[in-house]
Amino acid sequence: MASLVLSPAEQDFITRGVEQGFRADGRSGLDRREVTLRTNMISQANGSARCRIGHLGVGTDVLVGIKAEVNTWAPGEPEDKGTIVCNVECSPSAAQEFEGRGAEELNVELTQLLDRMLNGPQSGLELEKLCIIPKQAYWVLHVDALVLDVKGSIVDTLVWAARAALLSTKLPRVVVESITDEDGNLQSEFDVVDDAEDQVAVEGAENLPLTVTFNQIGKRYVIDASEQEEAVTQARLTVAVSPQLEICAVQKGGLLRGFPPSLLTEILQTARRIARDEFVKFKKLYEAAGSAQTTDEPNTGSTFLGAF
Amino acid sequence: MSTNVMDRRRINGPPRTVEPLYTTEASTDPFADGRKDSRALDQVRPIYMKTGPLGAQTADLLPSTATTASGSAFYEQGNIRISCAVYGPRQGRKSNARMGSFDCDFRYAPFSCSWKKRSHIKGADEKEISLMLEHAIAPAIRLDAYPKACIDAFVTVIESDGKAATIAAAVNCISAALADAGIELYDSVAACSMGLWGSQWVADCAQAEEDATTCSMLIAYMPSADEVTYILQHGKTLPEQTDQAVQTCTNLCTRVYAVICRGLQLSLE
Repeated sequence: MASLVLSPAEQDFITRGVEQGFRADGRSGLDRREVTLRTNMISQANGSARCRIGHLGVGTDVLVGIKAEVNTWAPGEPEDKGTIVCNVECSPSAAQEFEGRGAEELNVELTQLLDRMLNGPQSGLELEKLCIIPKQAYWVLHVDALVLDVKGSIVDTLVWAARAALLSTKLPRVVVESITDEDGNLQSEFDVVDDAEDQVAVEGAENLPLTVTFNQIGKRYVIDASEQEEAVTQARLTVAVSPQLEICAVQKGGLLRGFPPSLLTEILQTARRIARDEFVKFKKLYEAAGSAQTTDEPNTGSTFLGAF
Repeated sequence: MSTNVMDRRRINGPPRTVEPLYTTEASTDPFADGRKDSRALDQVRPIYMKTGPLGAQTADLLPSTATTASGSAFYEQGNIRISCAVYGPRQGRKSNARMGSFDCDFRYAPFSCSWKKRSHIKGADEKEISLMLEHAIAPAIRLDAYPKACIDAFVTVIESDGKAATIAAAVNCISAALADAGIELYDSVAACSMGLWGSQWVADCAQAEEDATTCSMLIAYMPSADEVTYILQHGKTLPEQTDQAVQTCTNLCTRVYAVICRGLQLSLE
């Protein structure tokens, strides 16, 4: 989505290459680049994850931190649910055009996309479990994402990082005491247990979807486009698939053309197939990221995503 | 929402106001005994459309002086009322661009929505809808015929009834306004929205109906080119349901397209 200026010769080279089935880095059209995942590296946050998708240590890099706060219920809000508040910011370190207000449009687009995916039954999260006392207090999870580097395919990296962060989130346990007063009303109070060992996970985080973004270049489409491929993309389609292989969200982007309906159907089928493999890959990487903290490595090293 | 930000350009009301709470909650199932306005499940609300100078469109409103727009349209779909003005092609921001640019500015009037009084300051959802409309309409415009130029569309929602349906109506309104402005187009874009109620897709949901649906789908389609220029779905569906919705929605878009074309023809007479 960040624009890269390519010469007409380069554009033609990439387009024709994709149409013949070749990509500049030797991948096939449905291959994703290498994914690196780290979790729980921000000690002040309730959950955090950093995901990088790219070759040789350089790629799109997104850091997601989750802070949980208790909010007081106000009339008009849902009575028995917590909420998720998302915010995505593209750091100027990712691209020069993100300086000042340059990234505003992209920030809004990514924030709304993440918000649509996480708030609502399609996220799979059990928001009712985030309610502490109905009509009184509930957890708000602030999901803040920082895009540190952009090398194509921001949405997929963002969703990978957000999913890993929510899976790694630990909320303090809450003890609720209720007494019935003289009028027969139930008065409840809650206490947050301040014990680092006694924490609960966010229920339903395993049901969160992953996205696959298809970029149409010429007559064919590829997934996980690099920066150069994105500059030549005519239209893209982001499909979010749940672990049960249901379609959670579909969104089209791109100003130059649309998709024929038959191609849409084909892309949705392919998305489910790719998502099945992606969930397996995610599980492996997430578990590896979790076990990386139990070694004797100094904590400062875990924020950096591995040396090459 | 609007209490934290000080709007210095306007005279503000009291700093803290809340919506009234209604004691009688009429929360009946909007689909019990068929739809409230007795439409079929795959029927779009009746459309009224008028293009031309904004003052001449609705007899009740006072004639406006905004006749400097290149093209404008007023569009009604059931209770949704949208007005759009198109300015352009005019000088663009980049003087070396080989292709023209299309910009859309979407806003809800503060009194337009049933859910809350909106702030005068643009919210994130309005900014996102502006981007959505750009993605939906730009493929239809012959931007390579307007180098160094920009085409601006300003959409104001006067009354909204169903979030996805309002966005679909905005797409239709911009299509009409662009044609009125004489901008060269590959095709008009027609859009339609659907909601999933249980396992059935219901076309063009009003706000009460949309609140009862579990998934919403919005499709913008160019019938002559057979291209879907925008699709937005959120909510869980099985893939067969999504496929079915794409089929049905594109058929409905074709019907809406016929109405828009007829409306444009009538405006020439």
